[in-house]
Amino acid sequence: MDSPKYISVFFDDEDPLREAVRKLLESKETIIDVMTPFPVHGIDKLLSIKRSRIPIGGFIFGILGATLAFGFMTWVFTVSYPLIIGGKPFFAVPSFIPITFEMTVLFSGLAMAAAFFVRSKLKPDIRFNPVEERITDNMFVILVDTGNGNTTPQKIRSILSGIKTLEIRE
Amino acid sequence: MEEQFIFRKQYRNILIVLMVVAFLVALTAVFAFRPGASRIWANILLNNQFFLGIALGAAFFIAVNRVAMSGWHTIIQRLPEAMTSFIPVAFILMLLIFFGMNSIYHWSHYEGYDEVLEGKKAWLNIPFFFTRIVLYFTGWIAFTWMMRKNSESLMISSDLKYHNRRKIFAGLYLVFFAITVSASSWDWIMSLDPHWYSTIFGWYVLISMFVTSLAFIIILAWFLKRAGYLTQLRDDHVHDLAILLFAFSIFWSYEWYAEYFLIWYGHLPEETTYYITRLNEYKAIFYLNIGINFIVPFFGLIRVRSKRNLNWVAMVATVVIIGHWIDYWLMIMPGAAGGDSAIGLLEISMTILYAGLFIFVLFRSLARGPLIIKNDPLLDESLSYES
Repeated sequence: MDSPKYISVFFDDEDPLREAVRKLLESKETIIDVMTPFPVHGIDKLLSIKRSRIPIGGFIFGILGATLAFGFMTWVFTVSYPLIIGGKPFFAVPSFIPITFEMTVLFSGLAMAAAFFVRSKLKPDIRFNPVEERITDNMFVILVDTGNGNTTPQKIRSILSGIKTLEIRE
Repeated sequence: MEEQFIFRKQYRNILIVLMVVAFLVALTAVFAFRPGASRIWANILLNNQFFLGIALGAAFFIAVNRVAMSGWHTIIQRLPEAMTSFIPVAFILMLLIFFGMNSIYHWSHYEGYDEVLEGKKAWLNIPFFFTRIVLYFTGWIAFTWMMRKNSESLMISSDLKYHNRRKIFAGLYLVFFAITVSASSWDWIMSLDPHWYSTIFGWYVLISMFVTSLAFIIILAWFLKRAGYLTQLRDDHVHDLAILLFAFSIFWSYEWYAEYFLIWYGHLPEETTYYITRLNEYKAIFYLNIGINFIVPFFGLIRVRSKRNLNWVAMVATVVIIGHWIDYWLMIMPGAAGGDSAIGLLEISMTILYAGLFIFVLFRSLARGPLIIKNDPLLDESLSYES
């Protein structure tokens, strides 16, 4: 029989989860992943997960949206189809501001949403195989690497003695 | 962590010397350059408004945080509380305007028949004007005194009833403040151009006050941290203060744009006079105003890393404070002093004089109690706050 790839440790609350992650890292266990039904504060820092670059994309696309909107309006109202509206000059910067702002927000928001879907590999009609279905309900799971059988459920149980775990299994 | 700010002799002496020197320089500027009376009084009004705005905005900061039941601000709560102790001083300084009414307010002494000013006479007349000043300041002083006394009682007795009362005081203050800050901005600043009006003016001044206060709180926190106090003020608290400064600078820019755009697009002669004066004769300052108050905080504080660095945030806050002084200057000077207005030795020395006075009153109030409030049920939340 193949040696199991990972050991799942289950919790039903976030505080034991955090403590357990800390203890496991202290004991130099390799944590493959931590899965939670909602974002848990502090886990990112403990697992040294790098900050997402999605906001950077949002900023770049925001600038793009602003430039596109402002540039397009400038071209339309000064070169392509100049109209005298209310006696205002053709290159009416104050008039362009609301639309520029809205386009900035639009491009930034859409770009960040799209980047999120791409990074999560979410597209229509994918098959999602959850490692453990109960994390979508009320369970928090730590997946610990077995390291070719070095780590066993018994070992994990002894490391995490005193923390309220629900289940530890392969 | 018992922290007590001590108003050291060293600070006291520096401030007194600064105030005396600034006063002498201002006097010299008056006798050497002979500015008109309207410019001198406009300066007094400008600095009154600026520093009163910082004090009122500080009370607004506390009230808003208490009504929202926020916990993170508890560690720095004493800073804006101490800032509100300037309001009685501002009251006396504002009453001095009585002697300069004719120099800056044209509605107080017009000859002949002016249809617009006749229509506004019920509101813009000297007895009612000063009655309103007394009303505004009585309310402001009463509320901020109650809030300070409430904090003192809480620190002494640790009876939770004082904590429960805070939300009520905060709510009452907010209602009173909303009405009076609008009305006072019409009285003191908008009536400088009595033939003009703008319905967003009250809010514009309110936000200017709040942003300036936030910037001042940040600079004060930076100073105290450098002097060794506020050891438990962490990046997380700085982050939140920077977020507020960033967000409300953007909101200020939005108010600025709302006022400017509507008047520009509507193109009504009775409204555009305000901006025509400012765009024709004060062009550089006009664009400097929007540049400093929008571009600098927006691009300076947009990154998370910048928001967590107190030194950088304090630098941006300093620029913002100077920027909002320029904003008030642009609101007040063209209408009050007209062709006589400038940013010269008189302006700078008077601002430094007022700043010295403000900081003196502030430090005295700060030293009157512990630097970090005690027995506040939200203090633990603030000390362990993660952002």
